[in-house]
Amino acid sequence: MSAESKSNGAAPAAWKARGDMTVLNTDLRRLDGPIKVTGRAVYPHDRRIPGMVYARLVLVPVPRTTITKVDVTAAKAMAGVVYAEATKEAGDETKLLGDDSCVAVVAAESPELARDAARAVLVEYEELLPPMVTREQSRDADAPEISRRGNVEGEQSEGSAEDAAAAFGGAPFQVRATYEVPTQHHVCLETHGAVIDAREDGVTVYPSTQMVSMSQGIYAGMLKRPADEVRIVCEVMGGGFGSKFGPGLEGLTASRLASAIGRPVHLMLDRAQEFQMAGNRSAAYAELSAGADAEGNLVALQGEVDRMGGMGGGSFPNLPYIYRVGTSHFTSRSVHFATDANRAMRAPGHPQAAFCMESLVDELAAKGGFDPLEFRKRNLESPVYHRQLDRVAREIGWHEHPFRMGPAKVDDGVMEGIGFGIAQWYSGGRAGAEAELRIHPDGSVVSSCGVQDLGTGARTYVAAIPAEEFGLRLDQVTARIGDSDLPPGVPSGGSATTGAVTPAIKTAAHQAREGLEAKVVDAIGGEVGGFVWKDGTVHRADEPDRSMDWKAVCALLGTEPLVARGAFDPALVTDDTGLHGAQAARVSVDTLTGEIRVLKMVQMQDVGIPLNRAALRSQMNGGMIQALSYALFEERVIDPDLGLMLTNNLEDYKIAGAQEMPEMVAIIDDEDTRPGTTGMAEASVIGGHCAIANAVYNACGARIRSLPITPDKVLAALGRV
Amino acid sequence: MHNDDLETGAKPGALSRRAFLKGAGGVAAASGALAATTESPGPQQAAGVLQGEMEIEFHINGELQKVRVEPRTTLLSMLRHKTEPALTGTKEVCDRGNCGACTVLIDDKPQYACMLLAVDLIGKQIRTVEGLGTPEAMSPVQEAFCAHDASMCGFCTPGFVMATTAVLENNPAADGDEIRRGLSGNLCRCGTYPHIFSAAEDAGRQMAGQTKGGERK
Repeated sequence: MSAESKSNGAAPAAWKARGDMTVLNTDLRRLDGPIKVTGRAVYPHDRRIPGMVYARLVLVPVPRTTITKVDVTAAKAMAGVVYAEATKEAGDETKLLGDDSCVAVVAAESPELARDAARAVLVEYEELLPPMVTREQSRDADAPEISRRGNVEGEQSEGSAEDAAAAFGGAPFQVRATYEVPTQHHVCLETHGAVIDAREDGVTVYPSTQMVSMSQGIYAGMLKRPADEVRIVCEVMGGGFGSKFGPGLEGLTASRLASAIGRPVHLMLDRAQEFQMAGNRSAAYAELSAGADAEGNLVALQGEVDRMGGMGGGSFPNLPYIYRVGTSHFTSRSVHFATDANRAMRAPGHPQAAFCMESLVDELAAKGGFDPLEFRKRNLESPVYHRQLDRVAREIGWHEHPFRMGPAKVDDGVMEGIGFGIAQWYSGGRAGAEAELRIHPDGSVVSSCGVQDLGTGARTYVAAIPAEEFGLRLDQVTARIGDSDLPPGVPSGGSATTGAVTPAIKTAAHQAREGLEAKVVDAIGGEVGGFVWKDGTVHRADEPDRSMDWKAVCALLGTEPLVARGAFDPALVTDDTGLHGAQAARVSVDTLTGEIRVLKMVQMQDVGIPLNRAALRSQMNGGMIQALSYALFEERVIDPDLGLMLTNNLEDYKIAGAQEMPEMVAIIDDEDTRPGTTGMAEASVIGGHCAIANAVYNACGARIRSLPITPDKVLAALGRV
Repeated sequence: MHNDDLETGAKPGALSRRAFLKGAGGVAAASGALAATTESPGPQQAAGVLQGEMEIEFHINGELQKVRVEPRTTLLSMLRHKTEPALTGTKEVCDRGNCGACTVLIDDKPQYACMLLAVDLIGKQIRTVEGLGTPEAMSPVQEAFCAHDASMCGFCTPGFVMATTAVLENNPAADGDEIRRGLSGNLCRCGTYPHIFSAAEDAGRQMAGQTKGGERK
C-alpha cells in the first residue's frame, strides 16, 4: 500500500535555470565509482552461481566452408565436461565469418575444462574460395553470390547527376579524390555473453547488454517461459558502443543450454570470438569530386560510395555532410563481404562520412588558396558551428600557427600542423521510458528506472534529478537501474537514452514534490508550487521563515511512502535542432620516419542542460580518444586468400593507449541555452579523426586519403618510399 | 601436498617453471591425451612433473588462503574462479598479456595475472584490487579515481588502479611522463586516460603527504 501522489497538473514540470542548479550542471561523482574502483562491481562476466557451468562456442576460423565432420565424442567423454553438441553437421555450410562460423558448443565445470573440450571437438571442412572478404572479391564479375540480395545492392541516390556534373564542370577550383575507411571494431572490454540461472520458479538472465528492459521478452521467447518468469539484471556492464542490443548467438545458446543442462550457464565470447562475431563499424570506399567558386563557396559535389558492412547494409549518410553545397549528386550502395553484419557503432556512418567530407573540404580550401577555417565557416550556415570553430581554433593556437594557408616546405625534421573537423547528431529524446520515485517517511529516497548504464553516467542522473528537485545531496538518493523488474528503460541507442529517461525521472520527481508540498501546506501554510527546496529544507517562497527540514517533511507521510511515476514529456528535452560539435587537432609528423604524434586535441560540444559536467567531459574525451584511435591505428585485416582474421586480438588490432594520449581539452558549449536535456555521446566521436588527418596534411603536405594514417602511408605520400 | 613440499622439493629446481611448462605441454599435446590425463583424479608427481589439481596456500591480500589449482591454472583464473569468494575485481579481457585489465601486484610489482601460473606464486605476496580498499574506505588511488571521474564502464578500472598504485608506491612524486609509462601496459576503450592521469597525480600528492607523516601503509 502506498499513498499515490496527487497529480493535479497545476504546474507542468520544468527544469530550473542552469544558474540555480546545485546538483545538476556541476561536477558530480558518479555513484558507481566506489564499487568500480574497488573491484566490487559485479559485471555479467563476474557472476558466480553455485553449480554454474562454463559454456563455450566452437567456431571455424574462416568464412565460406562446407563442413565435412563435426565430432564431439571425445569432448563428451572428458571428465568435467557436462555438455557437447555439434550445431552443424557434414554437408552444412558456414556462409560467413561470424556467428554462422559456430559448429559446436560445449560446457564444463571450469573455463579451462571448457577450453579443453572445445579443442577436443574434431572439426573438418572444405573451404569455398575465394573467401569473399574484400571489395575486389565481392565486385568481381565472376564472384560467387554471397547474399541472396546480390553482392552489390541497396543503392540509394539523391540529387541530379546532370546538374551536379554541370556545376562541377563550371567550378574554378576542383578536387577529385578517392577515400577509404577500414572496418572498425567496437572492442568492448567485456566481451558479449550472458549468465543464465534457470529455475523452476523463474529465470534470471545476467547479460552484458545495452538493452535491459526489452531483453525480457526476447529471452522469455528463447527460454520458452512466460515473460513474467524472466528477469533481466545488468547493473554494470563493460562497454557496448552499439554492439550489445540483442542477445546474439551467445545469448540464444546460453538460453538453450540453461534449459538443456538444468544448471546455471556462463557463456561469454573469448576475445578472438568477439572480433569474429560481435559486429563492426562498416568500411567505406568513396569516389568523390567537389568544386568551389572564386569566393570560396562550395558549388558542386558528386559522390559514389560503397558501404561495406559484411552481410549488413553498411552505414553512410548521404553527402554533403553538414556543409552547404550548391548542387550535389550522391549515390551509395552496399557491397557485401562474407563477414558478420555491421552493427550500430557510436554514430553509425557519421565518422566515415565526416572523414570523406572534411578531407574533401580541406583539399578544396588548399586548392583555392583559402584559409581552411574561414573556408569551413563560409560554407556552414549554423552560427553554432561558427562560434565552436572559432573557440577550438583559439584553444589549439590556430591564429599563432605560421602555416595556416598550407604546409611549410618539407625538410628532414619533425613538422607540426593543425586541422579541423565538425560533427552533427540528433538531439532530444523519445517516449518509452518510465520512472518511479519513492519517498519514505524516514526521509530515504529511491529513484528507479530499468535503464542500463554503459559507463555514460545514467545511474548518476537517475539520482541527481530528484536530488536537485528536493534540494538534497546526491548521496541522499538511491538510484536503482539495470533490472527488468523496474519501470522500463529504453535501449541505449542514438544517444537517445538521456533524452528518454531524464524526462521520466523529472516528471516523477515533479509529481512527488507536488505531493509533498500538499502535505507541507497543512503544516506551514502556503500553496503547492509556492515552496523553495534547498539545502535539505523547504521554505515558503512568500515567507522564507516558515520552513521544515527534509526529515520533518517526510515524517508528514505517516506510515506509507509517497510513490510517483513519470513518463516522457517532450517539453523537457531539447528540440530537434540537433547537436553540434567542433574539433581541432595539433600533430607532429616526423618526415623521416612517418611517425605521427597527436599533441593536442580540442573539442567543443553543445549538450543541452549539462547534467553532470564531469561525465560530459569524460564522454568528450572518450570521443576524441576513439577518434584518434580510428585515425591512426584501427583496422580489421582479413587475409584475402585464406580468409583468416589477422587482427583478432589486442596486439594485432591496436587501440590507443596511455603513451598516445595528447593534451586534451573538452569544452561544454554553455552558449547552448536550450531548456532541455539530450544525450551527446555520439556527436563527440565524429570529428576528431578528420581533424587529425587534416593536421597531418597541414604539417607536411601528406594528404592521406585512407584510414588508418600509418607511417608507411605518410612516407609514400611524401615520396620517400 | 603442502607448500613446504613444493618449496623444498627433493631435487632443487625440480619445480622450476620449465618443469611446469613441460607438464602443461604434455597435457595440451593432443585431445586424446588430454582426455586421459584430465580423468586422472588428484595430484601426481613424477620426475618433477606435476599433474592434476592440488591444494596450495597462497598469500592473497595479506591473508593465507588454500586454493585448489592445476599446474596450468593462471593466476587470473585462480583469482576469478578458484578463490572463495571469487576475486572478480581482476578482469579478464584479452587473456594473453595485451591489455592490463588483470594487473595485480606481486611483491609490489605490477604483473599481468593472465601471464602467470598460479603455482609460480607460492610464497609471494599477491595483491588484488580488492585488497587496496573497500567502497567505504578507499585507498588514495581509488579515492582519486572517483574524484576525477576516471572510470566509465569500469572494466579496465581495476587494472589501472593497480598499475597506478604500483607507480605511486614506487614514487609518489612520479611526474606525468612516469605515470604514462607506468600505465602504458593498460588499455581503456571508453577513453578515461586523461582523468586517470589527473587522478594519479592527485593520488601521488596524497601519498607523498602520508609518507611524510609516517602513516603510509
